[in-house]
Amino acid sequence: MSARPTEGNPLRAFVAQVWGSIFRHGLPTTDKVAARTALTNFFLHIHPVRVKKSAIRVSYTLCLGGLSFFLFILLTISGLFLMFYYIPSVDQAYQNIKDLQFVATFGLVIRNLHRWAAHGMVITVWLHMARVFYQGSYKPPREFNWAIGTFLLLTTLLLSFSGYLLPWDQLAVWAITVGTNMAKYAPIAGPYTRYLLLGGRNVGQGALIRFYVLHVVALPLIGFILMVIHFWRVRKDGFTGGL
Amino acid sequence: MATTVDGTPSETGDGASVPVNRTTATGVRTPRPRGTGPELAATPLVVRRREEEETVVTFPALVWKEFLAGLAAFVVLLAVSIQVNAPLLQRANTAITPNPAKAPWYFLGLQELLERFPPVMAGVAFPSFVIIFMILTPYLDRNPSRRPQDRKVAIALFTIYMCLTVCFVVIGVFFRGMAFNWDWTRILGHPGVKPAV
Ligand code: HEM
Repeated sequence: MSARPTEGNPLRAFVAQVWGSIFRHGLPTTDKVAARTALTNFFLHIHPVRVKKSAIRVSYTLCLGGLSFFLFILLTISGLFLMFYYIPSVDQAYQNIKDLQFVATFGLVIRNLHRWAAHGMVITVWLHMARVFYQGSYKPPREFNWAIGTFLLLTTLLLSFSGYLLPWDQLAVWAITVGTNMAKYAPIAGPYTRYLLLGGRNVGQGALIRFYVLHVVALPLIGFILMVIHFWRVRKDGFTGGL
Repeated sequence: MATTVDGTPSETGDGASVPVNRTTATGVRTPRPRGTGPELAATPLVVRRREEEETVVTFPALVWKEFLAGLAAFVVLLAVSIQVNAPLLQRANTAITPNPAKAPWYFLGLQELLERFPPVMAGVAFPSFVIIFMILTPYLDRNPSRRPQDRKVAIALFTIYMCLTVCFVVIGVFFRGMAFNWDWTRILGHPGVKPAV
């Protein structure tokens, strides 16, 4: 498919060669080409070549797992832009956010996008869990993928929670104060857990840098690894399919 | 293609048997004798369902749907982000405690529990129980059927749990005022006073 007859035109031949070296197949005009494309493309390879028709009905998954993943990607990209401006210091963080809102081109929209996508992801992941439950899709052999899902839900919540502190405004600091106070109540380990999380007794610079590192490195990495395993297992177990 | 981890074929039981690779130690593929194998496998490791069910090529059928869903989600989010600004209050000040001080909305259920139960229960025992119970759910629910008619208890229990969660969050966001006390006026207002939210 890739190399169309282009003899006589060196430029077209060159373009065809470059194109053909990147995309091994042309447009999916037949099932066979479509299948080959899916097999040889890294990003498409995450999918099986063929899927049951009932499994890809929108009414079956409601797109919720896919949307959760999409939001995760969107959050990673918008978060990267925010990182160019944001300095995790109690003296500068708040001003950085103000600058994002009022100075940086598109800073406001990117910040808004990041914030709303984060709330959205908590909701889509939660609804995805509900759809998996109502469809009974956690039943054998998918028991363990449900467990991985549980950790994904927790990771999503913690990601959102750790990001909440970063703007360093009244909302951020007090929400985290209330949130981390809950950790305090665990017998014996509680106060230590809180101290470990905040890097001190109060929400201050120690807490900011810890939450920042958790938010931009540790938790996204954990989430990503869990997602890779989650998808791998969905792929291997096959879709549960319509009821 | 359809072999399980240990190389034995397996089946959910509701589908017709599907030919699978059965490779012996010598590398010779032998056909599976009828009536053995899948039907007898106790716990299926990999589920192969009715092959007669219609399939489509993932690319472009599914990929196209995914693309559209992503695009739609992006457009909606972009529209919201252009219209509505993410909150940014005054610079953090540890000397001024806002009243009420609330956790992020998805933790308001926990905060609600803390209002009603001793802290060790609400802050530690309940959440741990929920997480552990959730992980164990597939192992505790021994009912093999996926049809809603056969799963009345499971569905009822889960629905109660979901409703409780939603209620607590709604209460936390809309009905908790000063000092996290119950406050109708936050959304209803009262004569002469504007609602707070
Ligand atoms: C970051 C969070 C998550 C992402 C990105 C994600 C993504 C996905 C995707 C893309 C699928 C394919 C089907 C679909 O789109 O619905 C899927 C299936 C599945 N998910 Fe998730 N998921 C997440 C969290 C969870 C949670 C919280 C649970 C349950 C506690 C869960 C349990 C499952 C199970 C059991 C399946 C297989 C369903 C089937 O075969 O029908 N996942 N997930």
